[in-house]
Amino acid sequence: MIRTLFLIYGIAVLATVGLAQYRGWSLNRVDEVLNVPKSVRDNPGSYRSVYGSYHHYTGGK
Amino acid sequence: MSSSGPAPPGTPQVKSLNCPSCGATLTVRSLGYAVTIVCESCHCILDAQDPRLQILQKFKAATDEDPPLIPLGTRGSIRGTAYEAVGFQRRTIHVDGIPYSWHEYVLFNPFKGFRYLTEYNGHWNDVSMLRSLPDVSPGGSSLTYLGETYKRFQTAQAGTSYVLGEFPWQVRQGETAEVSDYISPPRVISSEKTGNEVTWSMGEYMSGRDIWRAFKLPGEPPAPIGVYENQPSPLSANVKIVWSLVALFLALLLALLVASYSMARDEQVFEQSVEFNTNVKSEASFVTDVFELKGHTSNVELTTAAKVNNNWIYLNYALINQDTGHAYNFGREVSYYHGYDEDGSWSEGSTKDTVTVPSVPPGNYYLRVEPESDYNHGTIYYTITLKRDVPQASFFALGVLALLLPAALITWRSLNFEHLRWAESDYGGT
Repeated sequence: MIRTLFLIYGIAVLATVGLAQYRGWSLNRVDEVLNVPKSVRDNPGSYRSVYGSYHHYTGGK
Repeated sequence: MSSSGPAPPGTPQVKSLNCPSCGATLTVRSLGYAVTIVCESCHCILDAQDPRLQILQKFKAATDEDPPLIPLGTRGSIRGTAYEAVGFQRRTIHVDGIPYSWHEYVLFNPFKGFRYLTEYNGHWNDVSMLRSLPDVSPGGSSLTYLGETYKRFQTAQAGTSYVLGEFPWQVRQGETAEVSDYISPPRVISSEKTGNEVTWSMGEYMSGRDIWRAFKLPGEPPAPIGVYENQPSPLSANVKIVWSLVALFLALLLALLVASYSMARDEQVFEQSVEFNTNVKSEASFVTDVFELKGHTSNVELTTAAKVNNNWIYLNYALINQDTGHAYNFGREVSYYHGYDEDGSWSEGSTKDTVTVPSVPPGNYYLRVEPESDYNHGTIYYTITLKRDVPQASFFALGVLALLLPAALITWRSLNFEHLRWAESDYGGT
């Protein structure tokens, strides 16, 4: 019973890792936006991503 | 187990006699084999081999003081052989002044002789006499029997505190013996020393459910309490199975890792060096040239290397598909600070940052970049590098963790089971 369960579990782990590798999954977070206008290439300042209000580190020790 | 050993097989004789003390009817189920009989009414211990049933001992006990869970006269099948419960005794040891009692049942088959069952807190053992002597190690910490090693678990003085029915030995209420148990779950070998006589028996753990099934007893058996000395661990076999599978899957994971690293494109698709003048308050955002991401849907690794010195730069990135308008937005900071104080030199941060954008379909892309930093800190030089289909070791590390975690959990539970077992031992165990 435990052999079968762990076999299934191990295969699932390997399949997940393989799929993650093939599809290029990442632990980093990005925001996806659809239909960005083509005018961004001509006027880059017209586009503001959600990261524009990020609080910057300005410290040091 | 005090016993003179199994009697020779023969034809059973069941006979009704009368107690010479109280006159109550005695049903003798192992006549010709029993050595003593205990009257259930007046608790006289009678000599079964004497036609006049001489009274050997009389002890005080309330009727039904300790009713057997298997009523005497009940027939059942143990390992394919029919037995009848003919005798019952309660035995007690004292540890640190606390009494611990267990029950022993005498089973009889006219062709196979006597066999025994013991019960303690819902844990059962099927017991039979050893046919040869075990090899006890010097010091007595272990013994070997039929090639199997048994570890000493407990030694105590056991007293017989209650008896009922028929016994193939001269049973007495109040008699004591030094009992020692050696375990190799699911088996236990016990020695009983009375005077100069030592008898050896072997028990094998049985569940209450099996006993109930064997004797067709009504209801449910008492639930076992705690971990018994020779109770087999339900997990020890699983531990070996799981760790062998973990080894197999780790080897497969390593093979997958090697295959991924050898088959990944890991291709640089874009690189651009940029200057960011922080002294100028103007729109700093820009877009890059278009570059192609080839192959199947996969990741894109973006590295920012900035020449920051006690300074920082923050970059709002948007990786935009020129054809579909699908954008991946993310922000990255590169900061590097260093100095010297009373504790010595110190540094924080790095001049390089790497981020992986997941699952980006193939197509023509460009980057929109918007740098930020403190005003009037001069020019910051930085380089943006993009690579396509880069192997990620993090998922393999997570895979290793995912495989090890359940195996570690099962191992811990198994160790805990053994800890509970040996917590009841006089000798601590291993």
